[in-house]
Amino acid sequence: MPHFDSALLLRGQYHDWLLTGLHLSLALWATAFVFALPLAIIVALLRLAPSRALRALGTCYVEGIRNVPLLAHLLFWYFGAPELLPDSLKEWLYAGNFEFVAGAIALTLYTAAYMAEDIRSGMRAIPAVQFEAGRALGFGFLGTTRRVVLPQALRVTVPPLISQTLNLWKDTSIATVIGVAEMMYQAARVESASFRSAEAFAFVTAAYLTVSLLITAVAAWVHHRWPVRTL
Amino acid sequence: MRINIRIIVSALLAAMAFVSAAQADQLADIKKKGEIVFGVLGTDEPNSFVDPKTREIVGYEVDIAKAIAQKIGVKPVFKQLAVAARIPELQQGRVDVLAASLTHNKERESQVDFSLTTFVTGQKVLVKNSSGITDVPQLAGKKVVTVKGGTQEPNIRKAVPTVEVVTFETTQQAFLALQQGKGVGYVNDEASLVNDYAKLGPAKKEYAILPTSISVEPLALGIRKNEPALKAVIDDTLRELESSGNADKLFVKWYGPATKLQFDKRSFKIDSDKI
Repeated sequence: MPHFDSALLLRGQYHDWLLTGLHLSLALWATAFVFALPLAIIVALLRLAPSRALRALGTCYVEGIRNVPLLAHLLFWYFGAPELLPDSLKEWLYAGNFEFVAGAIALTLYTAAYMAEDIRSGMRAIPAVQFEAGRALGFGFLGTTRRVVLPQALRVTVPPLISQTLNLWKDTSIATVIGVAEMMYQAARVESASFRSAEAFAFVTAAYLTVSLLITAVAAWVHHRWPVRTL
Repeated sequence: MRINIRIIVSALLAAMAFVSAAQADQLADIKKKGEIVFGVLGTDEPNSFVDPKTREIVGYEVDIAKAIAQKIGVKPVFKQLAVAARIPELQQGRVDVLAASLTHNKERESQVDFSLTTFVTGQKVLVKNSSGITDVPQLAGKKVVTVKGGTQEPNIRKAVPTVEVVTFETTQQAFLALQQGKGVGYVNDEASLVNDYAKLGPAKKEYAILPTSISVEPLALGIRKNEPALKAVIDDTLRELESSGNADKLFVKWYGPATKLQFDKRSFKIDSDKI
């Protein structure tokens, strides 16, 4: 067993690379989360909508996305999709940090499909009579959903949404394949520059674990602060 | 409880003794197994790549590997590796020898042993003419693409400190990213670069290889540390290839005037493992 050099993780160039990676992983995770949650709510509403066409649209989204591996999504949004755009738009996109943008798009769409299913289950857990009562009082589908069903459903959905948020956090690591310089990417870079695999991946493991536990803690607090109302 | 721990400890010790005994001489193990496993890239023409007709891995390094297997009298087995996985796979014993466009440099000498140098290539940069870049220093502040885990990234950063580098799992993904305009330059070993350039076909005139090399890369086979018997037989095979003129034939076969690379002459000899 070679000597474990923890100094390498605490200061110096490799420490800086890993920290930049951690920042980018967090940024990627936060961006995807911020867009995925509202998108998931919209998709869940589509899946429960009164119109058959809207329901079909929601189903297509969920099934189309959920049944393709995340790796394929990432490669598609990075190498495939932008090639369909006109040249001028492409140049503009590529001039910026397109690796990050493509990664965020793929992760958002992918995570939203799973979150949508959890939110839909949550909405179905609210007794149908409440929905009917809302309608009887003169609210429309959206009004009833927004004022009566969704606020309760989101509370019910917190535990499965934590799982999806944790998955999203860990899934950011796959973005390394499209050159997003997130934590896994930087760990691999440290590994090839220094051959200190154990140290680099120990850092990464500790960072993923710590952030995951923090997410769980925040979610537990949310669940405590806004508990499920007895149905 | 104490007895259990004692049993576990002695079992572990026995297992460790067995493992170290098994690793005592890798050459003997290879002969016993009847096969030698070479780690190759399989994505790096002409060193090792998949022949589209036969679906087999062929190439310059593959031919060298076959000569070594023949010398030892065992069957060669080829295992494809990612660039970044080469040294870890060798160290963990999942391959016996690396024949994977591996650069021999000082940093790596503490991790693995190297055979005689089997090839010498410079690293260069392929750019699109539309970028207006005509030599390496102009890459300052620009984005270039290359493969993860090789010497390409450190070398270009050394040559142009302000360059931005994005890396991919394979050289071919990096090459695709260049073609799509996701970077202005694509860094790779010259031999591979010339080969990729040739693949562009009629689109070739839109691209150029920058004249200055960012480094000179001696390529060699990688061997696990402290395996003198295996290293000796590999180096002997390489010396024989050189003295019999077969090394030259291999060069002409994969790099010579009739190939896409069209190199006229070999600028090196397989005779030293010093860099």
